[in-house]
Amino acid sequence: MEDTQIINLWRSYGQKLEESLQLNRKNAEEITRIKVRSFLASMKPLKIFTIVVGILWVGFVDLLIIKTFPAANWFFIVSAGIQVLLTKLAIIIYLYQLILIHQADISEPVLETQRKLASLKSTTLWIARILFLQLPVWTTFYWNKSMLVNGNIALYLLQIVITGSFTFVAVWLFRNIKNENKDKKWFRLIFNGNEWTPLIKSIELLNQVKEYKAGA
Amino acid sequence: MQAERSDIFISVIETNKGIIYKVAHAYCIHAEDRKDLIQEIIVQLWKSFNRYNDEYKYTTWMYRIALNVAISFYRKENRRKRLTDPLSDNILDLVEDNALIETNKNIGYLNQFIAGLKELDKALMLLYLEEKSHKEIAEITGISETNISTKIGRIKKILKQKFSTIQA
Repeated sequence: MEDTQIINLWRSYGQKLEESLQLNRKNAEEITRIKVRSFLASMKPLKIFTIVVGILWVGFVDLLIIKTFPAANWFFIVSAGIQVLLTKLAIIIYLYQLILIHQADISEPVLETQRKLASLKSTTLWIARILFLQLPVWTTFYWNKSMLVNGNIALYLLQIVITGSFTFVAVWLFRNIKNENKDKKWFRLIFNGNEWTPLIKSIELLNQVKEYKAGA
Repeated sequence: MQAERSDIFISVIETNKGIIYKVAHAYCIHAEDRKDLIQEIIVQLWKSFNRYNDEYKYTTWMYRIALNVAISFYRKENRRKRLTDPLSDNILDLVEDNALIETNKNIGYLNQFIAGLKELDKALMLLYLEEKSHKEIAEITGISETNISTKIGRIKKILKQKFSTIQA
């Protein structure tokens, strides 16, 4: 089929659509009565829930650190401190990302808008990296001076292996969770499921944008 | 004032309803999702209507928003709550008598081909088929005119190959 035939085919499709498409004015008018929603109102319940749970958790651990500070052992204080700091960082990035996506001007040219949106969505990878980084502190918070003084070699070895492997995994994931690895099996395994599909899609879209920019 | 603005908006939508339908059709295979996408596009058009910059044509503004919304639109398996719940009917409907346009074989192949393209290629192909000039395509997409020619050339080549395979 030649160019002109394809164009004519599309033209006839357009003409037929013009004749047969009907705008439901009542519904269109309903839309014009919609008030611009605030950032909070525009958020999906699951996102609000995630942020609320995150803030409650951070508040709880902060309170625990403050209340037990004089009496608690340093293993707990330092472990909980690191955990809560990383969680706060993840919540801030998440909120910042959502606000910027909400504020994005979609009447701007497609390529740049999609690059901005996809880049923002893909910062979710940073949130995952930061959250994985806290893995080792989950293996140290319960330690205390007495375990250190009275423990035997087997206990020390076991602890070293556990904390060591958690640290290795955390650092490895922190270094390797990135766009370039999106097709790796382990990556797909971690980011499997519907809730991650927008992230995977945004990484793919970023690659398309790169291709277009490279050809410019 | 508000009523007047609303009337102008509806008349712009009415005049250019084909743009919304074709974009939604290209990016959403399932009729139910398409209905939601059409609604989402019109909501976003209305929200941006205040900021409309008359330096560009209405169609340029509409294409930018419709394509941006369609590319970012993602439907999970479990249906998302609609933005405007009372609107259970379609905003854009095809009159039944003319429903055969959807069944025209060649149009079907063409739509199928477009649906199979990557998001940005799809946008380019739609604009090419709509006979937009390279300058206008560049304004809508932000892609340079030379890059547009190269990309469209490649997509057309694949399209022709597909049609020749079908017709063979």
